[in-house]
Amino acid sequence: MIEREVTVTNRAGLHTRPASMIVRTAAGFKSEFFIHKDGYEINGKSIIGVMTLAAEQGATLMLQLDGPDEEEAFTALAKLFEDGFGEVK
Amino acid sequence: MPVLTGIGVAPGIAIGPAYLYAKVSFDVERREIAPDDIEGEKSRFERAVQRAEKDLKKIIGVTREKLGEDSATIFEAQQLILRDDALYSAVVDAIDKHGMNAGYAVQSVMSKHRQMMEASDSEYLRERANDLLDIQERLIRHLRRGRILSDIPVNSIVVAENLTAADIILFSRKGILGCATDFGGPTSHVSIMARALGVPAIVGMHTVTNHVQTGQTLVVDGIRGELAVDPDAESLERYKQKQQRYERLVQEDKALVPLASETIDGHTIGLEANLELRDELPLLKEYGADGIGLFRTEMILLMESRLLISEEEQYELFSDVVSSASPGHTTFRMLDLGGDKMMPMAHREHNPFLGWRGIRILLDKPDLLVPQLRAIMRASAHGPTRLLLPMITSITEIHAFRKHLDDVTNSLRKEGHAFDEDIPLGIMIEVPAAALMASELAREVDFFSIGTNDLTQYVLAVDRGNDLVSELYQELHPAVLRLIAETVTAAREAGIPVSLCGELATNLRAVPVLIGLGVTSLSASPVYLPGMKRVIRAMRMSEGKRLAERALASANADETKQFLDQWLEEHACGVNFFLEGSRAAG
Repeated sequence: MIEREVTVTNRAGLHTRPASMIVRTAAGFKSEFFIHKDGYEINGKSIIGVMTLAAEQGATLMLQLDGPDEEEAFTALAKLFEDGFGEVK
Repeated sequence: MPVLTGIGVAPGIAIGPAYLYAKVSFDVERREIAPDDIEGEKSRFERAVQRAEKDLKKIIGVTREKLGEDSATIFEAQQLILRDDALYSAVVDAIDKHGMNAGYAVQSVMSKHRQMMEASDSEYLRERANDLLDIQERLIRHLRRGRILSDIPVNSIVVAENLTAADIILFSRKGILGCATDFGGPTSHVSIMARALGVPAIVGMHTVTNHVQTGQTLVVDGIRGELAVDPDAESLERYKQKQQRYERLVQEDKALVPLASETIDGHTIGLEANLELRDELPLLKEYGADGIGLFRTEMILLMESRLLISEEEQYELFSDVVSSASPGHTTFRMLDLGGDKMMPMAHREHNPFLGWRGIRILLDKPDLLVPQLRAIMRASAHGPTRLLLPMITSITEIHAFRKHLDDVTNSLRKEGHAFDEDIPLGIMIEVPAAALMASELAREVDFFSIGTNDLTQYVLAVDRGNDLVSELYQELHPAVLRLIAETVTAAREAGIPVSLCGELATNLRAVPVLIGLGVTSLSASPVYLPGMKRVIRAMRMSEGKRLAERALASANADETKQFLDQWLEEHACGVNFFLEGSRAAG
């Protein structure tokens, strides 16, 4: 299991489109995926869950992955955050 | 005995027990699912999810194209939500473990998430709660379908907030006597369908669902637009007499079917049908239509509830229609979406009647226009066919359409398809701008078709669905008649025919005026044609002209109505009771 932090870099924060991107990307991996924010944990493969995070620009999230492809999954997810989901930073 | 009023949209008197059709309230009650039915309930839920996915796919497609990827995202997210564990698995769990009915499970799972979002400080999240509500309602709607429809008792009068055309078709197979709804107007699809099926109907009653209970005796007077609830013996007797009188008139009208539609002094007036379904084709013969003055092509889309119907599917339907109407012609109006005929769209227009509709959508979306145009052209090999464009406001739209027409003609020729090389192209005159520019437009096209419903609301700036102003919606307003006169004059000068396909054609008191103005054919729902023929056969052209002149010069619609009613009473006895206090006809 790995637990690593990422930061929301895009200006608009985790609104609907980034949330969909996270869920879609995570769905491609076998590993279980949870996101922690401010002591709150949600299933990262659930769009409802990710939306309820309402994470804004600058927010720090802890991605928790557990499974055979956890490294690859983390790399793919972290890249989304780094790229700011292809949006304005 | 309370008497409730609305807009009578399908003539006839129905007497029978009320059936209050499930309200559109989205509160679902909890039911216990028997252990044996658990699997069935789960697959019912799965089917509803699949239907919702189909809806969303369609919405996403249109949204993406018209408004861009960003706007489509919300619906893509909704699509993900449908299969989200937090929804899907939670609902399946609730059915499985608690024997909960799917509708209630959806409602309770979604409300939990929604409440959390609504309580949030983030405005973004509070807005997202609406997405969840959207999904919840969509699912519940789909869950409802299929179960409720099979529940309609035979031979009842259906009372509902709103009905769709598909509802009424299904009901008619169960034997529906009449219907009354809170919402809807004369041109709503439910009204068109009720008329086509001969089911007396009243729409726009606003609160009828609050005043009627299942089992009460109702009288639907679709002529006057009145609904009597639990009438006393004396009133019931009166209604029964009226019912007989109406049925007698309908019988007498039948005798008119084989007779020519001409005035006493020998002027022939075309009487054509407004149609939109294959099922309606037998009505052409039954009511003696000379052809199809308006074939609406929206219905096939709305019925199939998918936006893109293939060319082949359309061709199959259209060629059937053309063959049935032949030797009379068939006038296909190209897709007239927008306005009250909602596209499955994300973007809510502030003012859809002044928005993206008719030819505007067609020209923006060749993927809708081209297959339909090809299908119509190919159908023209089977009999006389005409093309009609909706919502034209300027010549440039006609030119833009002609480019598509040329392209389609060229490729059909290359592919070796048979079609009418000289297919007549006409336009709807339904926007005041088109009526005012009629002389210029007449040089560009082969015929006009006046759509009085839209023309009236546009020129008078009245939405008749709006109670506050609906009294101002007057089809006989001199302003409306003057625009019609202008259009007819321009058509005559250019030597092209002009038909009128709005509801005004079915307003029997208006018939002599329209003919006097020079309209060459009238097109209406087939059920109205015999009554219109009765009036035509009772008039002389000279009388029509005199009445038309008087109506044009009249200061207001009420005065016009008075002298027209007087004329009807003197000349076409027997039909005037159609008009008594009828809001629909006024």
